[in-house]
Amino acid sequence: MNVPDAGRLRPVTVLTGFLGSGKTTTLARLLKTSEFAGTVAIINEFGEIGLDHLLIETSEERFALLDNGCVCCTVRDDLVETLLRLIARADAGELPDFRRVVVETTGLADPAPILHALMAEERLARCYRIDGVLATVDAVNGLATLNAHREAVKQVAVADRLLLTKTDIAGEGAQTPLLSRLATLNPTALVIHSREGDAPASALTGLELDAAHAGPGEIVGWFERAARAAEQPHFRAEAHIESCRNPDCADPRHGLQHDKDISTFSIIIDRPVAWGAFKQWLEYLALLKGEDLLRFKGLVHVAERPDTPIVVHGVQHVFHPPCELAAWPSADRRTRLVFITRGIRRATIEDTLSKFAAIDLARMRRPAA
Amino acid sequence: MKASFADLVLRNGRIYTVDRNRSWASAVAVRNGRYVAVGDDAAIEPHKGPSTHVVDLRGRMAMPGITDIHTHMLMGGQAELFDLNFRSSLGVDQICAAVRAWAEKAAPGAWIVGAQWGTDKLPALNTAAALAKLDEASLGHPVLLRDDSHHNRWCSSEALRRCGVTSDTPNPANGEIGRDPATGALTGMMIEAASGIVERIMGESGHYTAEMDQAAMARSIDTLNSFGVTSFLEAASMKPIMAALKGLDDRGALSAWAGCSMPAVEPAFMFGVSGDELIGIREQFRSRHVKPDFVKFFLDGVPGFKTAAFHEPYAADPIRGCCFRGSTLMTVPDLIRWLGKCEKLGLSVKIHCAGDAAVTQALDAIDVVRSFNGPTHLTHQIAHASYITPADVRRFGELGVVADLSPIIWYPTFFLEGHKVAMGKERAERFWPNRDLLEAGALMSGGSDWPVIPNPDPWNGIEGMVTRRNPSGEFGDSTLWPEQALDLATTLEIYTINGARTLQLGGVTGSVEIGKSADLIVLDRNLFEIAANEIADTKVMTTYFEGQAVYERA
Repeated sequence: MNVPDAGRLRPVTVLTGFLGSGKTTTLARLLKTSEFAGTVAIINEFGEIGLDHLLIETSEERFALLDNGCVCCTVRDDLVETLLRLIARADAGELPDFRRVVVETTGLADPAPILHALMAEERLARCYRIDGVLATVDAVNGLATLNAHREAVKQVAVADRLLLTKTDIAGEGAQTPLLSRLATLNPTALVIHSREGDAPASALTGLELDAAHAGPGEIVGWFERAARAAEQPHFRAEAHIESCRNPDCADPRHGLQHDKDISTFSIIIDRPVAWGAFKQWLEYLALLKGEDLLRFKGLVHVAERPDTPIVVHGVQHVFHPPCELAAWPSADRRTRLVFITRGIRRATIEDTLSKFAAIDLARMRRPAA
Repeated sequence: MKASFADLVLRNGRIYTVDRNRSWASAVAVRNGRYVAVGDDAAIEPHKGPSTHVVDLRGRMAMPGITDIHTHMLMGGQAELFDLNFRSSLGVDQICAAVRAWAEKAAPGAWIVGAQWGTDKLPALNTAAALAKLDEASLGHPVLLRDDSHHNRWCSSEALRRCGVTSDTPNPANGEIGRDPATGALTGMMIEAASGIVERIMGESGHYTAEMDQAAMARSIDTLNSFGVTSFLEAASMKPIMAALKGLDDRGALSAWAGCSMPAVEPAFMFGVSGDELIGIREQFRSRHVKPDFVKFFLDGVPGFKTAAFHEPYAADPIRGCCFRGSTLMTVPDLIRWLGKCEKLGLSVKIHCAGDAAVTQALDAIDVVRSFNGPTHLTHQIAHASYITPADVRRFGELGVVADLSPIIWYPTFFLEGHKVAMGKERAERFWPNRDLLEAGALMSGGSDWPVIPNPDPWNGIEGMVTRRNPSGEFGDSTLWPEQALDLATTLEIYTINGARTLQLGGVTGSVEIGKSADLIVLDRNLFEIAANEIADTKVMTTYFEGQAVYERA
């Protein structure tokens, strides 16, 4: 339950999104905004972002310095080392001091390992905090991409915010199946619409992963979104696919092969939980089911500290250190847990919570529809 | 139709099939190593062709080949075939005389490996003066002599030189390099983990070639076959062991089904690659009869040395004080992490748990894994399942954990006498609750833990499981917890079909049924018609493996 010394930690945003989803365009635009002044962007190739003319070669990295104090650099080897060298360079005065980092993943990347490095590497945890995962989704081709590429599904499932790009090209109506699909895959993520790249930069910072820095409303928000979308019956897709005979059917359920195992569910516990037992259960969950736990978030009413809820969240087997909030964000003081998983059944979670976290099964409920 | 004739027919026997009905047959027919008929003469008649080999069992009892679910292969064979063997009663001068005689015949520069000196001789050997005698006797050869516990080595100066060990070398963790208390000079004694320094260098020298390992392994398997064993689970399968098994199988010379359990951590008594690295190369060793599908864990030590982990304290002693309970070598989360990894890889685990607290911890970890992962076909085992709290006995059945019953000491033995000293008579005798495990629905499998006991003769174990008396007569009529005795039919299941199931070969061997491998043993007596105290005298007349006679009593 440690709250890091917030002021000294530089927020890191992980920017992901499938090939052609507008990731690089978004980044190039953000770097020009005042909100992103003093940002270091770690990117794949300068060529993509049109910065080759600003190139500086150093022994390990290639840097480009921008007018507003932003720095772009490419990773030659290891992201952890690059992030550590940035701090050393800034301390030595070789780089302008920076306030924020954006890591752009490759289009095919699984963002989870980057998050793992940021959470698990102690040297990084002393300098940086995770602001969150932002995933760009192409409003025109997004559905097709999700249907065709497992990586794209993972990117959406792990994200904190989904930036829907090219909405000016795609008609409102055409977006409905995609939005429904996104809500199914990741109901906790807020979807931001961008027309001609006009999404406000402020909407793309202060994401929710690092709860100590997120507003209380954010924390309640993800749970409420999850509750609304909860119990999306993914399995019903199979029934539709089997019965549908229309080759031109636009129903999004046709593309669910890649995420048919991905399910989202929420559990409300209306009695305080014993923190020690709950923490042990979390450890077991991470040890045995981490690989299939795409995203987990929880707001926990701990019996020993009834006035200060604890926020827990994890990406696969890596869990962020639990954060204790100063107060409850709303009048609702029930424990709320949200799971985005690949193939982990609700019953497994409930049974193991009951067995190892000493939580009565009768005290666990689903959110009201 | 001639292609369908049997290769082998055995008839006029009393064949105990250990099938679900525990039925008897008088004849079987075998083709391509598999039973094609089980029944009587009429049943096998259609399978008899002109070239079928027909054997008249002359009324003898036959039964499925035996599984040894816990045995250490290779080391025994290596020592027997290639090394200097001497009795543990020998003193310094006699040991040195034996080394000298061996050194005179040894190839120049070759290692001299020998065993075994008595642990009680340690103070006499652990001196600079004794080392001077060994050096003189060794004629410049590197010498490595193992003790009877296999935990310590006594080495010549040349051996230490080859290992780079000098009087300045610091002791390794959990080990000690022997030094003369007066001068600090080396004594050649390498205690516990220090043994590994010398064993590794000797191993890397090529002292045992792959061919020698195969010959040693073949000798070990011949020994098992002579007792009627046709399948086994090797209990600490280091790379040379798996390589030797695979090498034999590739030559068509492996006459048993072999499960391999790869140590997750380098064992205290064997040296080399272990853990992820060993598991990562396991497929290199898989073959028709070699199944590298198990991982071995050591959760504690042994009760006699007070290294096993118990819930209640050992008897007080001056070193450990009043309240020493022993401790486990892994935490529950560590064990859970490993179990989770093994289950993902389709590997079953064998967890050494000699004390009841180690058993509890292993069951706790398995309970967590079962709760998250759901049911499994894997056969996780608790090895040496012998000191078990009543509450835990039930969990074997509930969690589907196999009780690996080894070594064969479920009757009065010198081991038990040591346990009585360590924890008092009453607790020491709550040893091997076999009947309770049976009633709890646990799958129980019999093993020898050879060479912890000097030979892998299962017939001692079978008799002792029924009588709870030591078959050798050494302990007279005294029994160990006789309420835990089992009937013969149950005991034979434990040694046959249960072992096969533990090896995940329940559909392949372990009973005499059509389609299964013709792994059959012919006995010199009918176990069901003799007094229980004659079972241990049973002699195997013939051992068939896949329909081939691989052992015949002279």
